[in-house]
Amino acid sequence: MFLAVTEMKRAKVRFGLLSGAVGLLVFLIMFQQALSTGLIDQFIGALKNQSADVLVFNEQARKNLEGSIVLPDQQAAVGEVDGVAVAAPLGEGTFTVLTGGSDEETDAVIFGYQLGGPGAPTTLVEGRLPEATGEAVASSRNADEGFDIGDTITVLANAGGEAATFTVVGLAEEINYSVSPVLFTDFAGFEAAKRAVNPDATDVLPSVIAVQVADGADAGEVAAAITAAVDGTEALTRQQAVDGSPGVSSVRQSFSVILLLFYLVVPLVTGLFFLIVTFQKAGALTLLRAIGSPAGVLVRALLIQVVVVVLTGSVIAVGLFWLAAQGGGGGLAISVEPGPVLFTTVLVLVLALATSLAAVRRVLRIDPIAATTGAGVQVG
Amino acid sequence: MNLALTELRRRPGRFTVATIVLTFLSLLLLLLGGLLDGLFLGSTGAIRAQRVDVIVYSDTARDSFLRSRITPDVRESVEATDGVQEVGGLGFTLLGATVPDETDLADVAVAGYEIAPSGVPDPPPAGHAWADERLQDAGVSIGDTLLVGPARSPVVVDGWVEDTNYLLQGALWVTLDTWREVQNANRPDAFVGDGVVQVLAVRGDGDAGALAAAIDDATGVTSTLTRDDAVFALPGVKEQKSTFNAIIWSTLAVVLAVVGLFFSLLTLERTGLYGVLKAIGASTRRLFAGVVLQAVVVAVIAFVVGGVLAFLADLALPGQVPLQLTTGRYVFTFVALVVAAVLGSAISLRRVTRIDPASAIGSAA
Repeated sequence: MFLAVTEMKRAKVRFGLLSGAVGLLVFLIMFQQALSTGLIDQFIGALKNQSADVLVFNEQARKNLEGSIVLPDQQAAVGEVDGVAVAAPLGEGTFTVLTGGSDEETDAVIFGYQLGGPGAPTTLVEGRLPEATGEAVASSRNADEGFDIGDTITVLANAGGEAATFTVVGLAEEINYSVSPVLFTDFAGFEAAKRAVNPDATDVLPSVIAVQVADGADAGEVAAAITAAVDGTEALTRQQAVDGSPGVSSVRQSFSVILLLFYLVVPLVTGLFFLIVTFQKAGALTLLRAIGSPAGVLVRALLIQVVVVVLTGSVIAVGLFWLAAQGGGGGLAISVEPGPVLFTTVLVLVLALATSLAAVRRVLRIDPIAATTGAGVQVG
Repeated sequence: MNLALTELRRRPGRFTVATIVLTFLSLLLLLLGGLLDGLFLGSTGAIRAQRVDVIVYSDTARDSFLRSRITPDVRESVEATDGVQEVGGLGFTLLGATVPDETDLADVAVAGYEIAPSGVPDPPPAGHAWADERLQDAGVSIGDTLLVGPARSPVVVDGWVEDTNYLLQGALWVTLDTWREVQNANRPDAFVGDGVVQVLAVRGDGDAGALAAAIDDATGVTSTLTRDDAVFALPGVKEQKSTFNAIIWSTLAVVLAVVGLFFSLLTLERTGLYGVLKAIGASTRRLFAGVVLQAVVVAVIAFVVGGVLAFLADLALPGQVPLQLTTGRYVFTFVALVVAAVLGSAISLRRVTRIDPASAIGSAA
């Protein structure tokens, strides 16, 4: 213990560089984890936190809400399938809007659902759900940007169209979509918004059909039954719709490959460092063994150093991460949460301890008798 | 100099772990860069390929193609603006398409155009399309009739074009009329009337910025961007670029720290040896050059192995991961690695300089 700490004090640059490298790597891991979960949550929050058990897409839409429209006869057919209690239209579109207090244009995604039916936001934190056309629940993350309760949001009309306005009556959390502010309103409100920007629209069709399954029915089975029964549709449970959203699976895959590599690099760097340091100290360690230090004490000293380096690195990482969160992650709100931070730190620590076993083995192999030969120890 | 290379050759084991770590880091740099390039190039191809100076959106569209609508009267006033030489309409519809003999749908962007983008021939006959090569991955061949969207509008593929995708969907370049038919059949909620387009691609005289301002002044209802600004106005493009670049630069800082750490340890180990070498006349410069040379060799080997691994990863990863490894990315990563290695090894300079040749006498080295 004493030796381990003294050694670190004497070789500040070396251990500082190592802690710095570990800190940067752990920071990158935390940052990318937050980025990928933040990205996914803010891309599909609205899908995840709405009340429909099953969403029926047009088969051609490839599970993409933006690309899906469901035809009237398909909607009627969905309602006939066994296990479907309610089948109601759910519309989604991105619009240019003016928010309450400002003249600045911004993007907003509007979801239109049948009031009282499936497709309502489930994470209301303030206010109430809409009860009439023109009322809306907004994403709480954007409350400060003119989407707070009482604010009026106007969908800008194109030539020939009539602007549609909504008053925010409630806030719900984690309902962003495509990283944009979201409004949940009734279907007629969604239709009015569509007609404002497309005065030529012949018909405003729902993007998907929101289905509430009958009591006791399994959502997965009902979804499969709908897909089989209604030509040209693809019914997905809420979770399937979230996981299958375009981009989500590829974002997950790409980030998991990159995170895996980062997780490999951290223990390699620490393992390498302690192995070399142990080689360099072999002579001194042999002498210590010869004058009676048990191998366990030397191993403990080594492991203490590993723990100190990883923890120092993690503290640096959390500091950097906190700074990055303040600065914003490229337009995405990322936050420092204790759970993932602790998880990453513990995992990195375990991996670093595992790779330092190479150095531990080296220490254990030291034969105290070598000190008597005068030749020090064999290195390598 | 020779001594440094000889050591690398005779005692490769000493450098193995550092090389492995750097290999992982260079693989990471290439994969991160490849993803960034893949996302960027795959999203913006259709706009980068436009051989025009500015893109004209309606002012309510917030520079979004899909939300923009330009009516014929606005087009007339753009055409009448001073400095405007050539005006072409553009429109995009993102849809799924059924490919003959394939069970999976292909993601397509049906693009109606008038002024041929770079690499794209003049508009094909009605109902026909020039398809982006990306669609080959989805099983599309020349002569195939794709059934596009819920309305299954038929589009015949006449030939291939390169690097013209829009928002990671394979472009199908068609005439404006065919695009309107596809759009109106499949997106009745976003109906476009005769003569209406999403945006105008405009070629003109002089400075693009001045041309954009002149057009907006003349119409009063448009928002005009230069082509390069239009690329970055696509959703997510700017954010992706800044985030990935931040990660890439941080990873390079790790490379620097790892190289610095490793070579300062090596130098420490060689202090006695360097004392002797200095005593018999070797200069600090020569010893230090040896350290730098070793760092560069390790970095080059790590880059080569990492590059091969990245290439294999590209082949192994499913097509939906938008990884694209460009020559430019390889060159950037190579240069960045070598520079980081040189800077990292420079951390040992102080130690090499400080070694006193006199220490060689009386020490066991």
